[in-house]
Amino acid sequence: MDTYLNTGIKEIITEFPEVETILNDYDIGCGPCSVGICLLKDIVSIHQLSVEQEKELMERIAAAVDPGKEHPVPKTRKWSSPAPPKTRRYSPPLQKLVDEHVLIKRWIALIPEFVDALDLESEQGKKRILDGIDMIRSYADKYHHAKEEEILFKYFDETADILKVMHEDHTRARSLVKAMQKALAENDKKTLSESLTAYRELLAEHIRKEDEILYPWMDSQLTDRQVGELFARFARVDQESGIAPETYEGFVRQLEAAFQ
Amino acid sequence: MTPFEGCPGSRMMQFRSSVENKMEGSAEKIRSQLAQWPIQMHLINPAAPYYQGADVLLTADCVAYALGDFHREYLKGKSLAIACPKLDEGQSVYLEKIRAWFEDSKINTLTVLIMEVPCCMGLLQLARQAAEASKRKVPIKYVVVGVQGDVLKEEWAAA
Repeated sequence: MDTYLNTGIKEIITEFPEVETILNDYDIGCGPCSVGICLLKDIVSIHQLSVEQEKELMERIAAAVDPGKEHPVPKTRKWSSPAPPKTRRYSPPLQKLVDEHVLIKRWIALIPEFVDALDLESEQGKKRILDGIDMIRSYADKYHHAKEEEILFKYFDETADILKVMHEDHTRARSLVKAMQKALAENDKKTLSESLTAYRELLAEHIRKEDEILYPWMDSQLTDRQVGELFARFARVDQESGIAPETYEGFVRQLEAAFQ
Repeated sequence: MTPFEGCPGSRMMQFRSSVENKMEGSAEKIRSQLAQWPIQMHLINPAAPYYQGADVLLTADCVAYALGDFHREYLKGKSLAIACPKLDEGQSVYLEKIRAWFEDSKINTLTVLIMEVPCCMGLLQLARQAAEASKRKVPIKYVVVGVQGDVLKEEWAAA
C-alpha cells in the first residue's frame, strides 16, 4: 500500500477503478481530471478531511488495492498536521481570485450559446468573437492567471504535483486560445467551435479545483505575513495591468442579455 | 424562557476546578514574545517604527489572560496594541489610530483578538469602521476566544 501512496492517481484509478468511487464518496473528484499525476498521499492530505474520515478513506483504498489482506493503515502527512480551521473562509487575496473566477464562470457558461451563434461572415459577428477571445486572453489569462503564476504559486513548492497540474491547465488554455485565433483567421468555424467548447470544459474543471481544493489548502499554509504581502501585490498588479475589469463585465452582461 | 442573568461579560463563572494547579506540557520557561512598549491603545504612537509595515495584533485586554498560548501562537512576530471596548473612554482616538496604521504606517495585516462576550465585538467594529474610513485596504483577521481559553472562531474578515 505504501507504494500506492507515491503513485499518480490516474494510474491507480486505471488499475483499480473502484478507487474513483471511493474518492467520490469523500467529494474528491479526481476521476475526470485531465492530468491525474497528483500522488495519492498528496490528494488525501490536501483535501483536509477529518482524522476519522481520512483513516476510513485510507482503509477503504487499502482494501481496494490489496484485497483480502490485513495491513496497517498508511499515514499521510496530514495526520501529523494541526487540525483544519474551524471555519472556511478565504483570506482576502484568495477571495479576490475567487471573485475573479465568478466573471470567468459567467463567460464560460455562455459558450454553448456563443458557439451556436458564431458568425464569421459579418464584421459585427467577427468583432464579437474577437471580444470573446480577448476576454480569455486579457482578463482570464493576463489579469487573473498571471497573479497565480507570477505571484501566488511562488509562495509554494512549484514542483508539487497539484501546482504542475494548474500550470498544465494554463498552458493548455493558452494553446486553445492560439487555436481559436488561427481558426478565426482561417474562417474555420468547426475548429473555432471545438476550441471554445474545449476551453469551457477545461476552465470549469480548473476553477472548481482551485476554489474547492487548491485555495483552501493554500490558505491553510499561508502565514498572516504572506497573506498581507499577497494582498498588496495583487492590488499593485490590478493598478499596473492597465486592464479594466468593468470592460469584461460589460461584455459578459451584453452576451447574457443577448442570449436570454 | 431563560431568566435574565445580567451582562454576559460580567457574569460570575468558575471553571477548571479539577486542574487548576496542574501545569501542562513542557516545564521549560515560556519566553515572552512582546517586542515593544507601550502597548495600551491610548499610549501607543501609531507611527512608531515597530508598526511600520507590520502585522499588528489589536487585542482585547482579557484575551492574554484567557488564551494559554497567546505569546507563542499569536503575539510572536507581531506588533501589539491592547484596549477594552467596554470600559475604555475616548474610543474615537482609537479609531483615528487604527486608521493611521492603515494609511500612514502601511501595516501589512491587522488581527483583532476578542473575547466571546458580546461587548467585545465593539473592538472588531472599531477596526472595521477604521478600515472603511481608510483609503488603503489591509486584510483583517479576527479571532474569538472563549472565557475558558478555547479559540472559538478564527477567520478573515473582508479587507
